[in-house]
Amino acid sequence: MNIIICLKQILDPEIPVRDFRIGPDKREAVRGNANLVTNIFCENALETALQLRERTGGKITALAFGAESAEDTLRKALAMKADEAVLVLNDGHPHPDPFTVAQVLAAAVRKIGACDLVMTGRESGDWGSGQTGGLIAEELGLPCISFVDHIEARGEGTDASLFVKRQTDNGWELLNAQPPLVVTITNNEFNVPRIPKTRDIMISARQPITKWTLEEIGVNAAEVRAGQSYYEVVDLAIPAKDVACQFVSGDTLEQKVENLAQRVIEVTRSL
Amino acid sequence: MNPTTTTNQAIIGSDFSGISYPTREVLWNIDNVWLMYVMFAVSSVIAGYGIYRRVSLWRRGLPENRFDRPRYRLLMLLKHALGQRRTVREKSAAFFHTFIYTGFIILTVATTVVFLHHDFGLPLMEGDFYLYFQSFIVDVFGALVLVGVGIAAVRRLVLRPKKLVYTDESLLILAMIFLIVLTGFLIEGWRIAVTFDPWGRWSPFGYLVASASLSLMGESIKSLEAMATAHRITWWLHAIIVFGFIAWAPYTKMIHVITGPLNIYTARLEPSGAILKKIDFENPEAPLGVKTLTNFTWKDLVDFDACTECGRCTSVCPANAVGKELSPRDIILDLRNLMHAEGLRIADRGQFWLPIADLKRKNSAINPQSASRIGRNPQSVVGAFPSTSPEALWSCTTCGACMEACPVFIEQMPKIIDMRRYLVMEESDFPDTIQEAVTSLESRGHPFRGTQSTRLDWADGLDVKTLAGARDAEVLFWVGCGGALVERNQKVVRATAQLLEKAGVKFAILGREEKCTGDPARRVGNEFLFERLAKENIDKLNGYDVKKIVTLCPHCFNTIRNEYPQFGGHYEVYHHSEFLVMLVNEGKLKLPADKLENSGLNVTYHDPCYLGRHNGVYDAPRQLVQISSRSFVEMKQNRENGFCCGGGGGMSFVDEPKDKRVNQERARQALVTGADVVAVGCPFCLTMMEDGINARKGERDVRVMDVAELLWQSLI
Repeated sequence: MNIIICLKQILDPEIPVRDFRIGPDKREAVRGNANLVTNIFCENALETALQLRERTGGKITALAFGAESAEDTLRKALAMKADEAVLVLNDGHPHPDPFTVAQVLAAAVRKIGACDLVMTGRESGDWGSGQTGGLIAEELGLPCISFVDHIEARGEGTDASLFVKRQTDNGWELLNAQPPLVVTITNNEFNVPRIPKTRDIMISARQPITKWTLEEIGVNAAEVRAGQSYYEVVDLAIPAKDVACQFVSGDTLEQKVENLAQRVIEVTRSL
Repeated sequence: MNPTTTTNQAIIGSDFSGISYPTREVLWNIDNVWLMYVMFAVSSVIAGYGIYRRVSLWRRGLPENRFDRPRYRLLMLLKHALGQRRTVREKSAAFFHTFIYTGFIILTVATTVVFLHHDFGLPLMEGDFYLYFQSFIVDVFGALVLVGVGIAAVRRLVLRPKKLVYTDESLLILAMIFLIVLTGFLIEGWRIAVTFDPWGRWSPFGYLVASASLSLMGESIKSLEAMATAHRITWWLHAIIVFGFIAWAPYTKMIHVITGPLNIYTARLEPSGAILKKIDFENPEAPLGVKTLTNFTWKDLVDFDACTECGRCTSVCPANAVGKELSPRDIILDLRNLMHAEGLRIADRGQFWLPIADLKRKNSAINPQSASRIGRNPQSVVGAFPSTSPEALWSCTTCGACMEACPVFIEQMPKIIDMRRYLVMEESDFPDTIQEAVTSLESRGHPFRGTQSTRLDWADGLDVKTLAGARDAEVLFWVGCGGALVERNQKVVRATAQLLEKAGVKFAILGREEKCTGDPARRVGNEFLFERLAKENIDKLNGYDVKKIVTLCPHCFNTIRNEYPQFGGHYEVYHHSEFLVMLVNEGKLKLPADKLENSGLNVTYHDPCYLGRHNGVYDAPRQLVQISSRSFVEMKQNRENGFCCGGGGGMSFVDEPKDKRVNQERARQALVTGADVVAVGCPFCLTMMEDGINARKGERDVRVMDVAELLWQSLI
């Protein structure tokens, strides 16, 4: 089983709200004091891939489209024991839209070649549009299963198929799928990303990472560099959260409870 | 007894007539003395082999230099080996060990004197020296050995404290020592009786035996002859036990007679906060932590053989006190037994270390639960015993009480960290909550996942400058994550900053540029991450040319002061309590005279391990408490005997079982003092103690405050 796992490096979504920063044009989050981390759903996807490989064997290639700094994300994937890593260097728009990203990743997947399964996270922790996985499938002409939290390989040789469990609003869907295909991964209690061993972190620092330019993977580089051909961000704001405290009074406990209930009703009605 | 009585029996009544000075005949009544030399040679060879085998085991450890600064080391030897400074801290042990130990030294000297006199012709057994030392002092100290053995036996057989290890070996050792001295008195007494020794009274206990024998058996020739026979038999019995003991001792815990002083000579000389070793990450072959015994250094292996099984380490261990699996004593003893068992096999098959899985079949100490772990991990010492199970290793707060208690300076805590290093770095196997803290350290530079505070929140409304904006600052105030990011502690940081400001100190902070010193990473065993954080911080500090640092947190204090020098960071580091006391003493902080009478606070102080035990700062925080409170009361366990709050060693990031919480035990100890305020000097202690007190205090209003808050409160 050859797996390509797409990983995105994002601004740490867990920094305190006070530390969030938006650029002067109000279209971009800027780094400020935030660190760069791997998107958590991408790590869930990598963990799912690693577990699948433990059972079936095969090769995992970590693929990222991003700035030079995305090398850290790929090194971490190597430390978690992905076999190879490919970085498509983004020297254009810092946050290209999902259509553009999918175009680039699909082109890279084609260039990598033999592949049974393309995996992405369900969505990213920065923009959260949740489109890239489906669009990659569209680009590659492959079926796509979204919100998957578990994959098992069944059968051998030409009978080989994948048993896929996907989360829905009402529960799960269990699907039998024929590779090659694209899946987007969501989290569950079994795909919490493993902590890499220090020994493997040390090894990963010396492993090669394949780097391709946009020209090398055969996409329209100018269009990709422009980044937002399908939609445009016009305004970005940090939601303001007002916290206020009110004391409900009353002489007896019953009265207090009644006043409290009254207040709750008033507040919820006004919302 | 009448010395003028003479008999025709050659053996009875030595000829003292021509001798005008006190002496006695050496080897009186003993034939075939050559046999004794043979026994001596045989026992020396057996003992020598035992010592050789131990030494060859130690030599399999990794290298480590513990022979620098010989003068300090000799001083240590005088103080702690000869002077027994730590041994006598415990009352019952103080008596029995001092008696046996000093008795043995005196008796060994006495035997050497006899040897020199007899075999080298040095006339030592004569005159005043013979009377005062060789007869009187030796007799008294011999008797003290008997008393000592008696106390030890009562302790071992009647009182039976939990901390001791109950082995047949220990009883046999006591019995042999007892018999050696007892037979010594018997032969001395019978010699005195039979030879009508005119100086016999100088050996009071021998004389007692002589008088008793004579009054029981009479003074007839027949009974004197019987005594002579008994003397001869007992003399050989004495020799057999003595030489047997010498031969056997190196194979028992009695080896501590050698390894104890050796361990004290090779003890660490730095504060215990500086004890953890660096790992050479440049070397891809370097073991990350300890997996097998050969990953220990030779000094670690000597530690195992130095153990006297006194159990003090376990009896002072806070994790053990609240019922957790951890027992430093058992770690040392289990690993010692493992080393010997493995060592035997090396001799058998000419092989180095065999897989430990091989051993488990023979070792009854291994429980089935840990055996399964060995199955998963066949070569690891980690998990080979209950004492080295992950549960045990993950309950150590690194408080260092075990090391402080050990009379022979065994270093238990670093071995626990070494095994954690293996678990964390080679196996990536650690508790979830610690994992979260580590992940946060990796990507955010602080261990508090999900905090909504920033490093500057505490300074809202204060005019605090960052180093970037105040290059001329004389002092860097290192706030620390625990201070900046935990809401309760922000008040402490604020108080400290305000005190510094009031005293006119030109200080600045690093602000957002500050990162965790790496202490929690290092203590949980993630040395790799620690080194990264340390190097980043040192680069920054050196970049700003920082000279003087004041830290709020004892953990930061310890790491910057004792551990950063390993990585090229050399600074003058003060804990805020030390610095504030200096400001008070210099008159830069003046306390209003009328204030104290009104404060009405009765305060006790809890020693943070990384300030107290690991760095010896006990007085500065106490001084602060005393000048800012009405009355000061000590907890029972204070200063070097302080009991951990439970938060060190990364343990503040672990969810302890409800019924086994170290902080609740410490809170109980604080509450019995009746104090209104429990003062601390550490943000981790503060939250741990506050949680503990809140869970226990009942009706009384008891607050936990940092010493800086107390001082600030009494100033404004």
